[in-house]
Amino acid sequence: MNRFLSKDFLSGLMFIAFGLGALYFGRNLAPGTTVRMGPGYVPHMLSYIMCVLGFIIALIAVVRGSEPVEVPRLRPIAMVTLGIIVFSLLFERTGMFPALVALILIASAGGTEFKLVEVLGNIVVLTILCILVFKIGLSMNITVLNGVW
Amino acid sequence: MDMIHNLMLGMSVAFSLQNLLYAFVGCMVGTLIGVLPGIGPVATIAMLLPITFHLPPTAALIMLAGIYYGAAYGGSTTSILVNLPGESSSVVTCIDGYQMARKGRAGAALSISALGSFFAGTVGTLIIVMFAEPLTRMAQKFGPSDYCSLMALGLVAAVVLASGSVLKAIAMVFLGLLFGLVGTDVNTGAQRFTFDIPELSDGIDFAPIAMGLFGIAEIVINLERKMTRSGAIKVDSLWPTREETRRAIPAALRGTALGAILGVLPGGGPTLAAFSSYTLEKKISKTPREFGKGAVEGVAAPESANNAAAQTSFIPMLTLGIPSNAVMALMVGAMIIQGIQPGPEVMTKKPDLFWGMIASMWIGNLMLVIINLPMIGMWVKLLTVPYRFLAPAILLFCCIGAYSLQNSVFHVEQVAIFGVLGYIFSRLGCEGAPFLLGLVLGPQMEEYFRRAMLLSRGDASVFVTRPISLGLLITTAVLLVLMALPSLRKAREEAFQEEEG
Repeated sequence: MNRFLSKDFLSGLMFIAFGLGALYFGRNLAPGTTVRMGPGYVPHMLSYIMCVLGFIIALIAVVRGSEPVEVPRLRPIAMVTLGIIVFSLLFERTGMFPALVALILIASAGGTEFKLVEVLGNIVVLTILCILVFKIGLSMNITVLNGVW
Repeated sequence: MDMIHNLMLGMSVAFSLQNLLYAFVGCMVGTLIGVLPGIGPVATIAMLLPITFHLPPTAALIMLAGIYYGAAYGGSTTSILVNLPGESSSVVTCIDGYQMARKGRAGAALSISALGSFFAGTVGTLIIVMFAEPLTRMAQKFGPSDYCSLMALGLVAAVVLASGSVLKAIAMVFLGLLFGLVGTDVNTGAQRFTFDIPELSDGIDFAPIAMGLFGIAEIVINLERKMTRSGAIKVDSLWPTREETRRAIPAALRGTALGAILGVLPGGGPTLAAFSSYTLEKKISKTPREFGKGAVEGVAAPESANNAAAQTSFIPMLTLGIPSNAVMALMVGAMIIQGIQPGPEVMTKKPDLFWGMIASMWIGNLMLVIINLPMIGMWVKLLTVPYRFLAPAILLFCCIGAYSLQNSVFHVEQVAIFGVLGYIFSRLGCEGAPFLLGLVLGPQMEEYFRRAMLLSRGDASVFVTRPISLGLLITTAVLLVLMALPSLRKAREEAFQEEEG
């Protein structure tokens, strides 16, 4: 395994990236002086610390080696994320029910087993549960199906 | 006298019908997730955070606390019956609990663990009552520099005691602090890292981050693995024999004492307590060979320890406002959602909430014994629910919960973003807990830091000239130095390997 594809090396890169990103996006924040600190003082300090820590972590990883990263399986994370995004797009436009159906269908497709009957059953149970808990139990202001209920 | 008066006040709050109901709901949910592998108290509390927004503050905190210690009870049930720890805090219980069950002593193991937990919970609650007032009074003397040093100590100690790679955990703390900066700067009103998104001007909401990092990431990791379930062992009589009782009582007492101490430490908490007390029992036992083959002490001690620690880990959070682990960080988040600033003022300004919550912990522990022992059959049946039914349900609750925070889909999208981030963290072996602690403490820490520097006219020596602050910083430094010592690092690595295996 390539020593640059190790958990620690990539973590180090990630921390450096966050540090540099924070420096870039916080470049217009005035650092001020130690007596009267501006809004940028603490962010800049933290950004530098992040970069240094990230560098040390990556360096140690290259010198000493660390655990290799497992090859990620993209399907679950992609399907779950997609499901949430579709949910957020549908929720206000169509109401809770269609958003819920879409989320459950997409998320279930991310798993290893997909049986339509089970998923449909899950949809029915969860719809009832959500209506009971959120709409009736907590009396939240959400529509089940826009224009209908 | 004060203590009794306070307890009475707490009892009167906790025994109101509404609070009893929420304590019960919390205990039920806690037991449920304790029994179900693949979802822990951190993810559950994160998921339920938005719902607590709709409840009165006392009820909300009572419910969340119930989930936390309920999970410790439920987790031991599955450890004993199916050799599957529902929670990390009951991993050790598997070793001897399951062996006891295989010898036909499942019922006895369950009773010992439930009664030991109840005893430990009671002691833990009493300790909170005794220490809450003196600690709070001490905390009220703290100046800004002292607070800043205290938080530094809390963060460092949490990292040192509770995670794998120290350097990465420290980096995660700083990353959490960085994310905590997003929003309007309180001192100048400047917008920081808000990218012109109006929703971000009040800071990134805590709940979507917690839901994404813990809830969503956990689901995805679980979906990647195939979950296998083994059959459960049947439960016979629940009564332990006289011999078992004789061996269990001293072990439970030792476990309670050790757990209570480890719970207070930052980064401590139930898991560390359970592991340490198991090791202790094995060391002092006259028959160490029995451990791993169904030793009663191996069930009684860690089960008492994890519950005692679950209780006492509330002490730093309630009195100082400093969370010692991820669950406590979420409790701080729940308080902030309710508009309560955690810290020493909670006890003086909201005595009913403070003492009501403490009293409800004892009531909750009592409820849990009742929920767990006679209803054991029902919980075991739940084990057969496949994860593919649970995952969409958890996702759905996260999404609707996030929306309901401010009726905005922006929060749902945040859940998605932090879900991806959480997934990356866990793939890279970076832990979420230090991040969360940094995130929660970040804004306060910056404020105290800037205030301290302003008061001292930019002289950083204020942190080392005030005795309290100096003492705290020395402790922090000692902890860091200890970590660098090779012998200690080795011992610590071994302890964590045992935990993973």
